[in-house]
Amino acid sequence: MAKKQRGKASSSSKTAGIEKPAESFTLSLESSDDEAPEEVTFEDSKAAALRSMKQALDTARREKQLLKEKRRKRQELFQEQKKRKLLSADVLEEIDSASSKKQKQSEDEGEQEEKPEKEGGDGKKKKKKKRSGKLANARNLKGKYTVTTVKERTLASFQQQVAEEFIRSRLYGPGTCRTTNNEMLSLQNKKGWNKSAAVQFVKKDWASKEKAKAEKLKKRWLHKQQLPSC
Amino acid sequence: MGEFKVHRVRFFDYMPSAIRTMAFNSQTERLAVARADGAVEIFNFNDNFFQEKVIPGQDGRATEALCWVGHRLFSAGLNGEITEYDLENLRPQYTVDAYGGPIWTISSNSQGTQLAVGCEDGTVKIFAILEERIQFQRNLNRHKGRIISLCWHPSSAQIAAGMTDMIKIFDAETGHATRRLLVDRAMGASKNKEVVVWSVGYLSDHTIISGDSAGKVQIWNGLTGTLVRTYLVTKWDVLSLVINASQDESSVIAGTSEGTVIQFQFISSTVDQHDKEWVRTRTFRNHSHDVSALAHTDTAVVSGGMDTQLVVRPLLDKVEKNTQESALRKIAFPHRSLVGCAKKAGLLLFQFPDRLELWKLGESEGHVCLMYPYFVCRFLQGEDHICCSALSACGGWLAYSTVSSVRLYRIQYNNTISINKVSKLPKELRSVHQLCFSSDSSKLFASSCQSSVIVVAVSQQECRYLHTLKHKTGEWKARMHLLCASDDGKWLATANTDCEIHIYNLHKMKLHCMVPVYNSCPTTIAIHPVTNNLISVHADQQIFEFSLVQKEYTQWSRRLQAQGLLSLWLERDTPITHITFNPKNPDHIILHDTYMFCIIDQSLPFPELNAVLWNQMTLKSLPVSQRIGQSHAFKICKSFQHLMCVSLLEDLSLVVVERPLLDIMSQLPAPVRQKKFAT
Repeated sequence: MAKKQRGKASSSSKTAGIEKPAESFTLSLESSDDEAPEEVTFEDSKAAALRSMKQALDTARREKQLLKEKRRKRQELFQEQKKRKLLSADVLEEIDSASSKKQKQSEDEGEQEEKPEKEGGDGKKKKKKKRSGKLANARNLKGKYTVTTVKERTLASFQQQVAEEFIRSRLYGPGTCRTTNNEMLSLQNKKGWNKSAAVQFVKKDWASKEKAKAEKLKKRWLHKQQLPSC
Repeated sequence: MGEFKVHRVRFFDYMPSAIRTMAFNSQTERLAVARADGAVEIFNFNDNFFQEKVIPGQDGRATEALCWVGHRLFSAGLNGEITEYDLENLRPQYTVDAYGGPIWTISSNSQGTQLAVGCEDGTVKIFAILEERIQFQRNLNRHKGRIISLCWHPSSAQIAAGMTDMIKIFDAETGHATRRLLVDRAMGASKNKEVVVWSVGYLSDHTIISGDSAGKVQIWNGLTGTLVRTYLVTKWDVLSLVINASQDESSVIAGTSEGTVIQFQFISSTVDQHDKEWVRTRTFRNHSHDVSALAHTDTAVVSGGMDTQLVVRPLLDKVEKNTQESALRKIAFPHRSLVGCAKKAGLLLFQFPDRLELWKLGESEGHVCLMYPYFVCRFLQGEDHICCSALSACGGWLAYSTVSSVRLYRIQYNNTISINKVSKLPKELRSVHQLCFSSDSSKLFASSCQSSVIVVAVSQQECRYLHTLKHKTGEWKARMHLLCASDDGKWLATANTDCEIHIYNLHKMKLHCMVPVYNSCPTTIAIHPVTNNLISVHADQQIFEFSLVQKEYTQWSRRLQAQGLLSLWLERDTPITHITFNPKNPDHIILHDTYMFCIIDQSLPFPELNAVLWNQMTLKSLPVSQRIGQSHAFKICKSFQHLMCVSLLEDLSLVVVERPLLDIMSQLPAPVRQKKFAT
């Protein structure tokens, strides 16, 4: 604490010295090393320490509050999105009732079919039992249909994507000093035996998209420049 | 010689795909190269580095590692599957899911009994290699991060596995990790970035050599687990590392992201052999982009990477200097033709791995261009990549095949162009390796399994199976990679990778004769429309002419062999991929390779041994009367570079399909930024 104060005193004395050159001599004497440091009362220093602690606590609390707010808002946003995704409640009720009706019908059918086929083999009985014990959401759609498995690519390709992303970020991600092919070939042209121009300069069809974008931007800028005049 | 109107075609956007990994089989001298699109190519190092076989790729098969076990080839990729390839029928034989997530590396032990794979979930899985399949044996202890690289000790007792920030040595019997070698992170700003050990090598004296993403090659003592020596070779990553295990394990090569390949050798600094140590010896700068695949043969260093070129650099202490053997070889283009030309209709068919493009050539009157070449249509293919394609001479039929199916389309030109797929194909046309239409477009020939040729008749209404041509019952040989039908429809010539050429008589539908076997593989064959002689060019650049009627080599061919071809012709490093003939002058044979096209005039004498091969410029400067004395049979033109196809249309105009290397290089992924002096 004392050192800080001394430091402050010396800096203030320097600024004072710039403004009032006449008093510089006396002021600098005051802040020489031989002098005893200024007295600071215990209450003052205690008050300063408490103040700084309170400030730190305040900032920490404020930050926590901010974070909480952010998290709450994000949660609300997700819930909103979820709600939007789901169908409206009445449509869901309709489907539910329809499915439960159909479920009852199929169960009746299943039971009716079970009775005449009871004499059948064990395997068949087991099959019928399985059929009657369906899930609540299953629906027996009428008409011809076949069930095939969609190719199981989603899980595997996600892992593959992660792996490819790993390689890509290690070789081409941030931190790897990479340049463009144009630069490399242009440098070869510059250092070669027959020095020639940069490749992008010479090849008309290179970077056509960038050139088109630049053209559009130029037109827009020119248009903007003309607007305030007219 | 004459003047030709030239269609100079540069709209074939052929893009080769990057080389991901390679593996060399020292017993059979074959190099297997896996590319980013899943294709696997086999190069024969005994036969002038000819690209013998190409197994087409597949979407989603992101091959990361290849491994030879005897004569069998295994690959593993980021789709989590281990695939064994059938090298005779050129397709994947079966795939086994490792159930460990994406597989980063695969390696077999020296006895060839076990296969170890390193997976994304941190396990090293051991598979037993059985007769016709592989079977899961066990997992070694699981580690928290992904296993990027691994290597067996030559005694098959330990496995060194490279991961993030460390290398672990596992005991192959118990599965426990016995040692852990901690790899330092990069100095300076990237101290927070984890270091990935991209490749490891394990020597018989328990020395481990590792290359990592901080640009270091480190040499460890595997018994004590300590670091012996560190070499900081680059600012970027060291992506691949290979030991010449088949020899005396005295040389290690490392490939970096900068495009350099660095060799380390185990030599002693003094004359006596006692204090040997690993010393950095040579640096090769043959690539512009990352070098991700390396192979070490007895005499050469083979490297490949993102710039899609395969470079073979012979080591000058193993071969004689200034000979053909010691030349640097760069293989940038495929050794087969990807362009089909319909001569009567002026159409071009471009074969890409995932699609076909059909273009119609423009017409011009004098110097005025009446019609620009226009794009006709595109045939998109799904997951499996296209193996081969064919266009009939009249332009009305198009066929292509993948490993699983064959498709045939009918194209009609009225005011608009209509394309109809022929749906019911004969069931014999299943897995086909080469397709060819007859010159009158009435028959389609397809080379299928068991070295037989299937003949189907194509007509407006349907596609009908006619016949299967076989040469001997029950004899199983290699698949045919070349098919050629004669113009009069009587002969069919086929060539396979065992260097055999068979001739079939199509009127009698049986084998006519077999051309005497030459020890080099034929790269292209063609039947002359007038004389019905078979011209074949081989991988060692030899040319033969065989008379089909008389079943013997022609006089011209015998004279050529007696005289010998000039050394400049024999030392060309790209093979001839297409032969065509001139309808106006039956003495002309037009051949091309990547850097030149040549018209061989059979009526002119052969060049003397000390004559100049490329004498077209000198002949032009001479007055007409003196030219006859100086000219010889080989007329070479080098004006068009990086040729994909040279063909002669019916109206005697030359079609030259070029793909300049600069156009390919401009579309490659980003190279590293190297600060050069004075730029």
